[in-house]
Amino acid sequence: MPPGSPLGRVVEIAEEGRHLLKERGFLVVEAGGEELGRVPLDDIAALVATARGTSLTTSLIAALAERGTPVVLCGANFAPVALVFPLAGHHAQQRRMEAQLAATRPLAKRLWAQVVAAKLRAQAAALASAGLPSAALARLARSVRSGDPENAEAQGARRYWPLMMGEGFRRDPSLPGANALLNYGYAVLRAGVARAICAAGLHPSLGIFHRHPHNPLPLADDLMEPFRPLVDLEVRALVAEGASEVDRVAKRRLAALLLADVPTAFGTSPFATALMRCAASLAESYLSGVPALEFPMLSAEGGNVIAEPDFPVGLSGHVDVRDVRSSGDDEV
Amino acid sequence: MFDLPVTTKSERRAAAKFRLWLLDQGWEMSQFSVYLRWCASKEQAERWLREISRNLPGTGKVHVLMVTDRQFEQMTVFRGRSRAGKRPKPEQLTLF
Repeated sequence: MPPGSPLGRVVEIAEEGRHLLKERGFLVVEAGGEELGRVPLDDIAALVATARGTSLTTSLIAALAERGTPVVLCGANFAPVALVFPLAGHHAQQRRMEAQLAATRPLAKRLWAQVVAAKLRAQAAALASAGLPSAALARLARSVRSGDPENAEAQGARRYWPLMMGEGFRRDPSLPGANALLNYGYAVLRAGVARAICAAGLHPSLGIFHRHPHNPLPLADDLMEPFRPLVDLEVRALVAEGASEVDRVAKRRLAALLLADVPTAFGTSPFATALMRCAASLAESYLSGVPALEFPMLSAEGGNVIAEPDFPVGLSGHVDVRDVRSSGDDEV
Repeated sequence: MFDLPVTTKSERRAAAKFRLWLLDQGWEMSQFSVYLRWCASKEQAERWLREISRNLPGTGKVHVLMVTDRQFEQMTVFRGRSRAGKRPKPEQLTLF
């Protein structure tokens, strides 16, 4: 493994008619036969194509797949419609996928409870850092039981969205404005999580609890749940600053989340690395049969994330909002 | 920066192999025999140093010089007689 990875650079193809190819260790972007620029393949965390009429060579896709780098193709409104995903991502992949397949229903339900509790805690922390009432969600996070039979996730969402984005807000991926900004942020996050899952030797099609028949990446969607509030917080800030569309500035801000330094149980690391650790903790849970998911926790001030070290079976539940570093959006 | 002997066939082969290895790893040619790569941290730069020492061509001289983002940005580049644009460090999001 070259020391180059993962730098976590997000490469987005946002303008029409680009041609992408691989040349030695580089992704080369061309338009009309002219080279516009090149990026070392090892530095790329995700390649996101939002523009129409982009062409890519198969050798480029193969080279990115070898590095476990997802290629995300977006449709209208920045919603991802396809993801090119590597077949092999980890040396112990077979053993891990078998463990993942063989996971018992009780284990899956306890893992799901941990995901939901972590999501609610993250939502509570995000609200708290925006100066909004968060106690209800924190309380809800403590009440999550195995398999989330009371659907605390949905209860949380009903309280969370009006607080986070304003009373009139409705989360609908087909709408413009804040919804499109959220789509974009989630697309970047989903790509980061997908890469982490693959690097951990797990299969993205096998969700933890939900088995979504029409979704190719249910596991990525499961695992990214607790990280979504990080995007929500940034979108909230963007909207407050008057952003109404997904422009260059907004994209840069949202993509920067992947490389933001976050404090974790093992010290400060880039967010992308924390995602890797989260996916690895899921693989470990499948192998050992003991659910021990490791989610960094969202904290105050512009998207800090804090890992809660080894909380027992998803129900320990105090909200720990330590303000370790104050700024999440400084240049990395 | 490297200065590799290319008098015998095997030396030429070793030099070409080293150069292509650099390119495969994402090192960009700045000038002939001068290659550069941006690193996120000093630790990463040091890891590259070890990686290079493992892939040396066997003969000739290789210099590895680490410069900071600031020093790199302050570099003045002339192309022909005119001054070329400065190159900032790569950003998180690269838009094309």
